[in-house]
Amino acid sequence: MKKFIRPPQIIILVFLAVLTITAIYLHIPLNAMFGDSLVRLVMNGVLVLSLLPMLNAGIGLNFGLPVGVVAGLLGMCLAVNYHQTGWFGLAAAMLFSAMIAVVFGYLYALLLNKVKGREEIAATFVGFSFVSLMCLFWSVAPFNNPAMLWPIGGKGMRLTVGLKDYFGKVLNNTWQFNILGIKISLGLLLFFFLLCFLVYLIYKTKIGRAMIAVGENEDFARLSGINVNRVRTLSVIFSTVLGALGICVYAQSYGFLELYTAPLMMAFPAASAILIGGSTGGKTTIGQVVLGGYLYQAIYVISGPVANQLLMPEFAEIIRMLATNLIILYALLYGEGLRKNA
Amino acid sequence: MRKPNIMTVIFIVLSLIGLGFSGLSPFFVLNEVIIRFIRDGVLVLALIIPVTAGMGLNFAITVGAIAAQVGFLLVLDWQIGGLTGLLLVTAIGTVLSLAFGALIGVCLNKVRGKEMITTIIIGFLATSIYQFIFMIGFGTFLKPHNLEIMLSRGIGIRNMVDLDSYRNIIDKLWLIHIGQVTIPLFMILIVIIFSLILRYILNTRIGMQFKAVGESKRRTEILGLDSDRIRIKAMIFSTLLACFGQIIFLQNIGMLNVYTAHLNSDIFSCAALLAGGATIKKASIKNAFLGIFLFHTLFIVSPQAGQNIFANVALGEYFRSFVAYGTIAFALVLNIRETELNPAALTAKTGRK
Amino acid sequence: MPQIKLSKINKNFGNIQVLKDVELELEPGEIHGLVGANGSGKSTLLNILFGNPVIRNTGSYSGSILISGQPVQLRSASEAVRYGIGMIHQEFALISGLTIAENIKLGREKARGITEKLLGYDLSYVDRESNIQDAKAAMEKLGMEIDPRILVLDLSISMKQFTEIAREIDKTDLKLLLLDEPTAVLNKEDSRMLMDVLRTLAQKGISMLFVSHRLEEIMEICDRVTVLRDGAVISHYRSHEFEGIQIAQDMLGKEIIQAMQKKSAPLREPIMEFKNFGAAMPGERLDDLNIEIYKGEILGITALSGHGKLAIGNGVMGIYDTWGSVKRKGTPLENSNIREMISRGICFISEDRRGKGLLLKHSILENIVFTAMMTKDGFLHPFPLSDLRWPDRNLSSVFAAECIRELSIKCESAQQKVEELSGGNQQKVCIARALALNPEILFISEPTRGIDLGAKEIVLNILVSLNKKKGTTIVIASSELDELQRICDRIVVLYEGRVSAVLSPEDDERKFALALSGESVDQIA
Repeated sequence: MKKFIRPPQIIILVFLAVLTITAIYLHIPLNAMFGDSLVRLVMNGVLVLSLLPMLNAGIGLNFGLPVGVVAGLLGMCLAVNYHQTGWFGLAAAMLFSAMIAVVFGYLYALLLNKVKGREEIAATFVGFSFVSLMCLFWSVAPFNNPAMLWPIGGKGMRLTVGLKDYFGKVLNNTWQFNILGIKISLGLLLFFFLLCFLVYLIYKTKIGRAMIAVGENEDFARLSGINVNRVRTLSVIFSTVLGALGICVYAQSYGFLELYTAPLMMAFPAASAILIGGSTGGKTTIGQVVLGGYLYQAIYVISGPVANQLLMPEFAEIIRMLATNLIILYALLYGEGLRKNA
Repeated sequence: MRKPNIMTVIFIVLSLIGLGFSGLSPFFVLNEVIIRFIRDGVLVLALIIPVTAGMGLNFAITVGAIAAQVGFLLVLDWQIGGLTGLLLVTAIGTVLSLAFGALIGVCLNKVRGKEMITTIIIGFLATSIYQFIFMIGFGTFLKPHNLEIMLSRGIGIRNMVDLDSYRNIIDKLWLIHIGQVTIPLFMILIVIIFSLILRYILNTRIGMQFKAVGESKRRTEILGLDSDRIRIKAMIFSTLLACFGQIIFLQNIGMLNVYTAHLNSDIFSCAALLAGGATIKKASIKNAFLGIFLFHTLFIVSPQAGQNIFANVALGEYFRSFVAYGTIAFALVLNIRETELNPAALTAKTGRK
Repeated sequence: MPQIKLSKINKNFGNIQVLKDVELELEPGEIHGLVGANGSGKSTLLNILFGNPVIRNTGSYSGSILISGQPVQLRSASEAVRYGIGMIHQEFALISGLTIAENIKLGREKARGITEKLLGYDLSYVDRESNIQDAKAAMEKLGMEIDPRILVLDLSISMKQFTEIAREIDKTDLKLLLLDEPTAVLNKEDSRMLMDVLRTLAQKGISMLFVSHRLEEIMEICDRVTVLRDGAVISHYRSHEFEGIQIAQDMLGKEIIQAMQKKSAPLREPIMEFKNFGAAMPGERLDDLNIEIYKGEILGITALSGHGKLAIGNGVMGIYDTWGSVKRKGTPLENSNIREMISRGICFISEDRRGKGLLLKHSILENIVFTAMMTKDGFLHPFPLSDLRWPDRNLSSVFAAECIRELSIKCESAQQKVEELSGGNQQKVCIARALALNPEILFISEPTRGIDLGAKEIVLNILVSLNKKKGTTIVIASSELDELQRICDRIVVLYEGRVSAVLSPEDDERKFALALSGESVDQIA
């Protein structure tokens, strides 16, 4: 964790400090916010975590995160379509999501392997165009659970699908308790940290080491007998699957599936979060994921009430976007980013 | 003629199919396309210099568009109407574009090889700053002079402001009607004049340097030319053209969607340019004009065609955003491999030919 | 007054001095040859004269440069151009998407006067026709009749070379022309033509600094020759004093070389055979290699840089396209598959140590065991799925500790990051990584490049003892001829990508000198 304090962290800490002081000044209770921030950490944390495999393999920030998100949405739609509920519903949704994500991830990797050195820009547009392609799919999707379809006409998916009757908040409500006025969802937190630990373990194995080596020095890896494209493909699939699981966690926590153009811009806040955590666009640790995810969400949680108190509801969103883009730009300009020559 | 560009062929085929199914009158479509040509023409032209200089698609033309919008908003705030206002808008836009363009150029010199993703993020960032200033800044730390354009709460400019006093100053000059087709000759002339200016620039000394640096930065440098400066100049020209493009666009529409008008200017312009057969390495004025016609034909006919084929207007609309994004994605995947990377990377990465 | 006079030119890269008090002067119209082996400082000298940004970025140079008696500081290429210095680059500085005329006039285009007055230099409209006229005239001066509207990418290599030259001679104020291996890509006839052109230019008062490894050309065209060795001027010759063998000997120096190992009687049992082998390594092309490597020998491969010595190891590993055949004990090898090569006991240590040979951000231990882990599942705990096996810390730390001791790698611990080590110790880590694979044949490129003297000795010792104790066959590609002479059983000399001679380390120095410049060694008995 040496030299953690660099401009992205300064930007975010300044924002956080200003917001916190304003919140105190406006008498907004902070302890409730702490609980919220933990929930939001997990809600978005898996999406942030999903960027890690591609960063580690030197493919850069996964601006094509929507590919994984769409896989997750499809998986959840399947689970909802077959009326799966509760824990089992969430498990089924995750299983379907992961399976779809493997297929999508594989195809996505084939594309990314064609554009070595410029994955980030290509991924951005692959993600964008995939989301708009899926919009076409959603409007004709052959699902038949009326809860997901437009009430009138009964064709095409709704913009948002409520998960309350299926597996909404399943994780959030597990082992939930109050302490000092702070609501804590132990189940949710445990799930997240378990997933992080699993990812950590994978990077301890032979294949994990190969992934990191490919990310650090592709030529070295190739000379050490590693099939570079295979490792890159696996990393992309890994990222995509985590992205799919990430949206499952997000949606169950939010209580709604957001279809159509909702996934379009999801990659940017996640990218910003991981950079806040101290990643510089190259190898990234789980600690950076958790820290960055938390700081980013802390901003989110505090800025909303502050903006409302100030009677400028847009304020929160604008400030977040400003910070998000500033941080990504900084990382592009000064980070190690993709392979040096690329 | 060389073998036709695959993207162009796809667009021609899709446009024809769409036209057939939409049942729209070709004259209606032609009228609409002419309007789009006027509105978007210069924005698309703004992309050509960065492509020539090897910096790829400049998604930061939104910054030029923002410069134009800032010009309009300031002039509205000062309540200066008519031609004077329009000229003042142009002056403000020019000054801002020169500064922003140089700034973008400096940024891009730090990220060689990642220019395009950087321009996207710069565009996003500029949007956030712009929103911050006009949605929050006006009425708090900036004193508004014209309360008509302000939100009722006294902070922030309204989402939509009227540009009526600038409309039709130049739009309606020299209108010609041929059958059912209306041709605003003066405006077409303006777009053509901009294309001639661009053509002129590409044939000047700096134009040669754009080509040279686009081909090989390293060789240009050992020939004693300063490639960083050349690239900054390329971005300045591009941003400036984008600003003029947005001014033409806005005065033609007569309304300013304060917070969204500039948002898709980059995507649609890039897609149009690529539809005309340009690549991320090579683009010409011919590509730009052909592309605008093809892209916007498809754009105009697809909602109606979606309605007629699937009884669903939304499908057509989703389809056209898919076309816009997909065109760019396709071009990136297709062309990136041919792009000359830095020579060190070239030997390392493509050592196996 | 000399056209250009250099005195006391010194240049350091880091703490390595690459130019030492270089003195050089060129009269107007003089063609001056500059020769030297690899690393003699030729290219650095050219870079200084041409204002290459590399020089400035590495802390500039010291000493004085006088052009027509005026002291000048050459900080950038554009400054050099302003002082009338032109350069013909070995790899062309041509923009292939532009026409011949556009290339020749790039940055100096003639423009329509009125636009220049109105809009300034950059924005003045290029006068295509008059540029084409100029370009045509410049090409005609070189005896080339060609339409200057043709794109450079459509030109033959020799025509590109002439375009490059035309660009320089089109500059009216050209005083000094630097030529870096201008004939390397030309055939005999075109070289002849170029020589004639250069002579005509010289008559017009343009001085030329001519760098070439073709000694016969140097002797034919130059008025004087300066020999550089290890960054210092060794000798000057005037044209009547020229003698090829003498110049070659000056280039190499005469050091007393003591063999490091007693040569045992060579076993002539082939362990690897190359037949018509070639590799398309950019800038190091290798062709028509026919050689047998004998079991248990140390084979040296040397050449000037750019002549293909590095392509052997890289080619065997399939890093570049190859042709011809490689056999290992009679069975053909599929050399694009690095895994298979390693599993058949062939190992390669790259010349690009930091770029390809190490994971700089990883520890010594991880670097040492990495390749064995990946290719042979070494140092891993057993688990049914190979991909999911995890490292056996005990095995790897024992092995790493052994390597650190045996190879005397200077480090704080096996956990230290490799990027913190000195070049010599990094090289030892590379060798340790190869040892973990227990190779039968080791290809190693430039083993002592960029490491200090003491470490050089240790690395050479390690290689010799590896060869002696374990019987590992070693193929060393190196530009350090004296080192090869000390440890090798045989030395292959390459010239322009082909074998020029296979010599014994005890052979006459002059034979090596001739072989390196591509001349027949039979001149010497």
